[in-house]
Amino acid sequence: MSGFEVLQEATWSNIEDLGRYGYNHVGVSNSGAMDEYAYRWSQKLLGNKESNAIEVMLGGLKLKATADVEISVCGADLDFRINQEKKVMWQTYQIRKNDVLGFYGQINGLRAYLSVKEGFKVQKKYNSYSRTYKEQKLKKGDFIPFTPSKSRDIKHVSIPYIPTYSDTLTLHILLGSQEHFFSQSTKEIFFNTNYTLTPHMSPMGYKLQGKVLVTKKGGIISEGIPFGTVQIPPDGQPIILLKERQTIGGYPKIGTVLASDCFALAQLPIGANVQFKEISITDAQNKMKAFYGIFLK
Amino acid sequence: MKIEIVSADSVMIYLGKMISEKVLDEVQNTYSALKTFEHVIDLTPSYTSILLQYDMLHYDSVNIKEAITKHLSKQHAKYEVKHGKLIEIPVDYTQGLDLQSVADFHNISCQEVIAKHTKQTYRVYAIGFLVGFAYLGKVDVSINTPRLESPRAKIPKGSVAIAESQTAVYPEDSAGGWNILGTTCFDDFHLFEVGDYVRFIDVRI
Repeated sequence: MSGFEVLQEATWSNIEDLGRYGYNHVGVSNSGAMDEYAYRWSQKLLGNKESNAIEVMLGGLKLKATADVEISVCGADLDFRINQEKKVMWQTYQIRKNDVLGFYGQINGLRAYLSVKEGFKVQKKYNSYSRTYKEQKLKKGDFIPFTPSKSRDIKHVSIPYIPTYSDTLTLHILLGSQEHFFSQSTKEIFFNTNYTLTPHMSPMGYKLQGKVLVTKKGGIISEGIPFGTVQIPPDGQPIILLKERQTIGGYPKIGTVLASDCFALAQLPIGANVQFKEISITDAQNKMKAFYGIFLK
Repeated sequence: MKIEIVSADSVMIYLGKMISEKVLDEVQNTYSALKTFEHVIDLTPSYTSILLQYDMLHYDSVNIKEAITKHLSKQHAKYEVKHGKLIEIPVDYTQGLDLQSVADFHNISCQEVIAKHTKQTYRVYAIGFLVGFAYLGKVDVSINTPRLESPRAKIPKGSVAIAESQTAVYPEDSAGGWNILGTTCFDDFHLFEVGDYVRFIDVRI
């Protein structure tokens, strides 16, 4: 069988797609690629539709190909090499049988996506290739099958579309209906001070640290949680809920961060600073339509 | 019914303000009707609300509300959520990390908290948070307790916990902010369905 043998496992790496939808009512978390921007580019370069990719967080993953295959790599610079030779991200490569691919360590950004032409031939569950990190992660000795492919063309993402990952980010936030849990002075603190990424950053959510945000009441009746929700527990430190968030929750929510900003957030390291900026629903929808527009072309 | 915009591509449909069996019926009726609403990405019913995520290429923030209202006005099927099965869950309250603090919060004894928690027959109002996590209500008002100041990074599987008027059993290790009253060896989390009844039995495991 053709595929990649996992020679060495990464801190975190898993097979992901856009996530599992339609199962929230039984408590199944959406999950999916944490940085959809890099994920979607890795798919687009290969012309993949409804496919999947390996999400690599930090470094360490080493794979050996048992057949020729066309791949793409997008996202963080994790010192990606083919047969020890350093390669740039955001483009396709033709891999030969017995080549060794490795992500040797974190240089810039946190998450890289490795896709193969037509996707990895693994099983779907909940109509998706994604699993939460709790359910599954790639381990040494795993075998990830693919269909061999060959291409003479190298395709790459054009420079204006290649992001640089820094350690500051503005998060556009749509204020929600629970805004009234927060006084004017609390909102002023929220919008005018920086919040720092703490080590409590998992695909479920990122806990931030900064000036305490006082809420008027401790909890709400538990309800569904949209992607990017910023909930404020009584300790006053915001939590941004991301791809593997729980389906339902009950801490008050100040608003929802724009999805495309959440994707950028997924590339930020511990200690990075974020600042919140209010956005209107019209602007939020326009920005998201522009985001998806890149990949519909 | 109130429809509120909660993100660029989702709205929250509120069917009531308080947890009640009447609102549960409303939520389940509306949820069932929304299954045939087009261009929906996901639906998350809870105690009093339904989160609806839609395809932004088909609706904008204005016409989504109109489309939902129109769709629901055409649905006439009404049913009551079935009276489901009774599930009994043994709980060892001596293992409750927050039992004492809950008792202290209400100025009563631990034994009184246990008595109040085991006295009720609860209804399954929603499944969510995690697979197999059943949201149960309603907890006796005299032991309603707010969520923890800061959620714990890890709550062990089998923890029986309360938050405000809700109670539940954690079906797996998870982060969580509820007050843990005890622990159970119950492991049939797949049995829970909306409309079921649940009783907690005080035991030593």
